[in-house]
Amino acid sequence: MKNWEKIAEAYDLRIPDSDLERIAPSLDALELAFRPLTKRISDDVEPATTFRILRESSE
Amino acid sequence: MTILEAAQALRRRAVSSAELTEAALKRIGELNPQLNAMLATLDESARTQAKAADEQLAQGADRGPLHGIPIAVKDVFETRGVRTTCGSVIFLHHIPDRDAAVVEGLAAAGAVLVGKAGMHELAYGITSNNPHFGTIRNPRDPQRIPGGSSGGSGAAVASEMVFMAMGSDTGGSIRIPASFCGTVGLKPTSGRVSRYGVMPLDFSLDHMGPLTRSVRDAAITLQAIAGFDPRDETSSDEPVGNYLPGPDCSIRKLRIGLPQNFYFERLDPDVDIAVRRMAAIAESLGACILPVRVPDIEALNAVGRVILLAEASALMEKYIGNRDQFGPDILALLDQGRLLPATDYVNAQRLRRMMQRDFARVWSQVDCLFTPTTPMAAPQIGEKTVHLGDFVEDVRLAATRLVRGINVLGLPAISIPCGRDRRGLPVGLQIVGRPFDEALILRVAAALEDAAR
Repeated sequence: MKNWEKIAEAYDLRIPDSDLERIAPSLDALELAFRPLTKRISDDVEPATTFRILRESSE
Repeated sequence: MTILEAAQALRRRAVSSAELTEAALKRIGELNPQLNAMLATLDESARTQAKAADEQLAQGADRGPLHGIPIAVKDVFETRGVRTTCGSVIFLHHIPDRDAAVVEGLAAAGAVLVGKAGMHELAYGITSNNPHFGTIRNPRDPQRIPGGSSGGSGAAVASEMVFMAMGSDTGGSIRIPASFCGTVGLKPTSGRVSRYGVMPLDFSLDHMGPLTRSVRDAAITLQAIAGFDPRDETSSDEPVGNYLPGPDCSIRKLRIGLPQNFYFERLDPDVDIAVRRMAAIAESLGACILPVRVPDIEALNAVGRVILLAEASALMEKYIGNRDQFGPDILALLDQGRLLPATDYVNAQRLRRMMQRDFARVWSQVDCLFTPTTPMAAPQIGEKTVHLGDFVEDVRLAATRLVRGINVLGLPAISIPCGRDRRGLPVGLQIVGRPFDEALILRVAAALEDAAR
């Protein structure tokens, strides 16, 4: 599993140790569920977020 | 009394909007000390709106079935000149200078806004146990949660304080309180109802919709608030349909899918029985009940959680330096989101697109799906876990398990009451439809509601 304490320290997130301890099991569970899914993604799939350039943005 | 019945009574002059509004304010005054469903009432402006509605109706200026009807909106909808807190002390003094698009739409339809409904802090949770504004209680059993995050809206409608209360739904926040409180809750298709002027929890998962006493009341409300809004980048220009089901709506030959995987696993047996009973009623009305396999919803939920954690934390990043402003459950979720790598967020949005394509195949087999809304009835206030057969599950994860994925897919869904468990607590049926096919799920829900009468 990831070392959440070190990640928080590296990002300078200033999360108290007791709070980190409390959320670590949830993050570990999500990591277990999510990480294998990323291997299913084919290269041509784009994210489902949108950016639309508007004509007025050039004015 | 429903909106439809009240609208008929208003036009017969059997009652006035002023009387309906006084009755709503009186009921709030009587019940709110116990239930805490409403954060604020707008007595003076409500009375003014009601008087105007009566005058307009008398002059024949009829704006439709919501005209003169007392309603509330969750305190996530901005209201010009009226404090809008999003259930958080961060916004304790936030007085918007604009109305949300939904508030505009309801005002244009002549509805009378009597108050702002309470909610889970920042719309980020399902208990509505708000550390800043107090615990909201379930009118069916005040020792139990109303669900959330639109818990005040659910409690206000179930206790008949108002005819309709607007909610918002990022991972089930309309449908969960509808299920726990025994009301109707409609989450429209993504882009169908404008998010303009709604304080966001999440950029890509938030949806706006009504909680009501009847299916037709939900349809009437959707009719007033649906449509393209250029002020919301995600707003859709799909034409708005006619949502109100007729008095004799038929569901003959409709293909209703009953999932064979995921949705009927780890349920309270009473929920399983109640939902299957509704499928049997639909079959007796001429619908075809078809077994169907749905794509991996467990994976869909994981994708939804990554997106929500990342987007909500990004939104709240500028406030998190002052940790005392947040309740412990919110802080835990915000910290989780800050620890996720950006690559996970991007990949979650890529998986979302893949899963959307996978799920589209379901619609070649069926016209809508029947699932339970929640795996259990309302838990007790303070309960952290629920026992479902041999499983012990976190209350939040259990409550969102059957609804969260539908937000990721952006599909329309409605929760309607479908019976009670052994303790007499309401159980919800979720009906999920094709994108922008709100008319169909409303028709199916209305047919079931009519059959149950």
